Amino acid sequence: MGAVNSIQDRNSSSSFLKENRVTLLEVLDRALTKGVVISGDIVISLADVDLIYVGLKLLVSSVETMERLRGAPMSGNREEPT
Amino acid sequence: MSKIVETNAIDAFFEETEKLQKALPKKIDANPQNVEAGLAKLVLTLIELIRKLMEKQAMRRVEAGSLSEEEIERIGETLMKLENKMKELKGVFGVKDEELNINLGPLGDLM
Amino acid sequence: MAIYVYGIIDSNDKIDAFVTGLDGVGVYNIPYRDIGALASDLDTPVRDTDEERVLEHETVLEKMIECFTVLPMRFLTVFNEKNNVISMLNEHYNDFREDLDRLHDKTEFGIKVIWPGAVIREKIANAYSKAQVSVPSPDDSPGKSFVKKKFETYKINKEFEEEADRRIAVIDNFFNRNVCEKKLERLKTENMLLNASYLVDNEKQNDFKKAFEEMRAFAGDLKYLFSGPWPPYNFVTKTNTRHDRE
Repeated sequence: MGAVNSIQDRNSSSSFLKENRVTLLEVLDRALTKGVVISGDIVISLADVDLIYVGLKLLVSSVETMERLRGAPMSGNREEPT
Repeated sequence: MSKIVETNAIDAFFEETEKLQKALPKKIDANPQNVEAGLAKLVLTLIELIRKLMEKQAMRRVEAGSLSEEEIERIGETLMKLENKMKELKGVFGVKDEELNINLGPLGDLM
Repeated sequence: MAIYVYGIIDSNDKIDAFVTGLDGVGVYNIPYRDIGALASDLDTPVRDTDEERVLEHETVLEKMIECFTVLPMRFLTVFNEKNNVISMLNEHYNDFREDLDRLHDKTEFGIKVIWPGAVIREKIANAYSKAQVSVPSPDDSPGKSFVKKKFETYKINKEFEEEADRRIAVIDNFFNRNVCEKKLERLKTENMLLNASYLVDNEKQNDFKKAFEEMRAFAGDLKYLFSGPWPPYNFVTKTNTRHDRE
C-alpha cells in the first residue's frame, strides 16, 4: 500500500475531494474526541464538550462529598446530622 | 511510513462520515440568552434517556413473560403517557429528536 | 503568548529535525524527568472548529511518531506558560510513564466497515411479521396495543444488534491474533457496522496487513475503510479518570 489511494479514477476531481473530506474527518474524529485530555485551572482552553464531562464529574463528586458529610450513603433511612 | 487511507467505497464512506460529522462535539451554548435553551435541551435529554431505559426494561419483562395481563395494561398506559408528555415538552421547547443527544467526551454519546 | 502542546514523548532530549506546528513556528520539547511535552509558542487564538489547525496538529504528531513513542494530546490543549506545562507533566507523570511504556513500538490502525443496515433491518422486520408473534387486534386496549407495538420494535432492534455482533465477530476474528489491544464500536450509525481501532505491535504489522488482505478477499460486498498509521489516540489513558484526587 502506498500513499493515499483509491480504486476510482484519480482524474475525477469529485472523487479526490471526497477522499480529502473522508481523510479529514478521520483526523477530526481522533484529534477532537480522543487523545490525552488535561483539564483544570492551568489549561486555558477546553473543547466545550469537556465542560459537560467536567460538570458531570463535579456532580458525582458533590454527591459523594455530601454522603461523606452526612456520614451515610444517600438511600434508605439515615441519621440527620446534628 | 506515511498515512494511508484506503477504501473500496469512497461514496458510501463520504455519506456516512458526513452523518457522523454531525455527531462530533457539539457546543453547549454558554451565551446568556441561549443558556435556557441549552439547559432545556440538557434536561430533556436526560429525561428522554430515563424514559427510554424504562421502556427497554419493560420490554425485557414482557419478553421474559413475567408480567400479568393487568400489568402489561398498566405499563402500556404509563409508557404511552410518558411518550406523549415528552412529545409535548419537545414541542414547548422547540427541540427536535436529533438534538437530544450530546457527546460526553470520554463517556461517549449519551444516546 | 501561550504554549500549545501536541503530545507527550518518551524523551527529554532536544528535537533534532526542524518541525513546524501551528502558526508555522518551530516545535520544541519541554523536558521533565525522562519524558517531555511537544510544544510550540502560540500567538493567535484558535477556535475548536479550525480544521486547518487540526491538520497541522496531526502533521506534527505524524512526524514525531517516526522517532518517538507519542501520547497524542486532544486538539487545543493550551497552557499559559512553561511552568504550567511542567506542572502538568509532574502531576500526570505516572500515567504518562505507564502509557509510554505500554505503547512503545506499537501503532494504531483504524478499520471501518459499512453494511446495508436498512436492508437488513427490513429483512428482520419482514421475518418478524411473517412469524406472527404477537398480532395486534382491534380488541386490544390502547395500553396493550402500545406495548405490542413497542415490543415489536424492541425485538427487531435486538435481532438487528445481534446480527451486527455476529458479523463484527467474524471480521474481528481476522485481526485478533495480530493485535495487542482493540476498541470496537458497533453501529455508530445504522450503516456503520463497525468502527474499530487496533493497536498493533510494529513487529506484527505485516501480519496485520496480511490479515486485512484476507478480510478484504472474504468481505465480498462489505464496504471497508482502512486507515493508519495513527498516533495512538484511542489507546491513551484518559488521565483525568485515573489517579484522581477527588
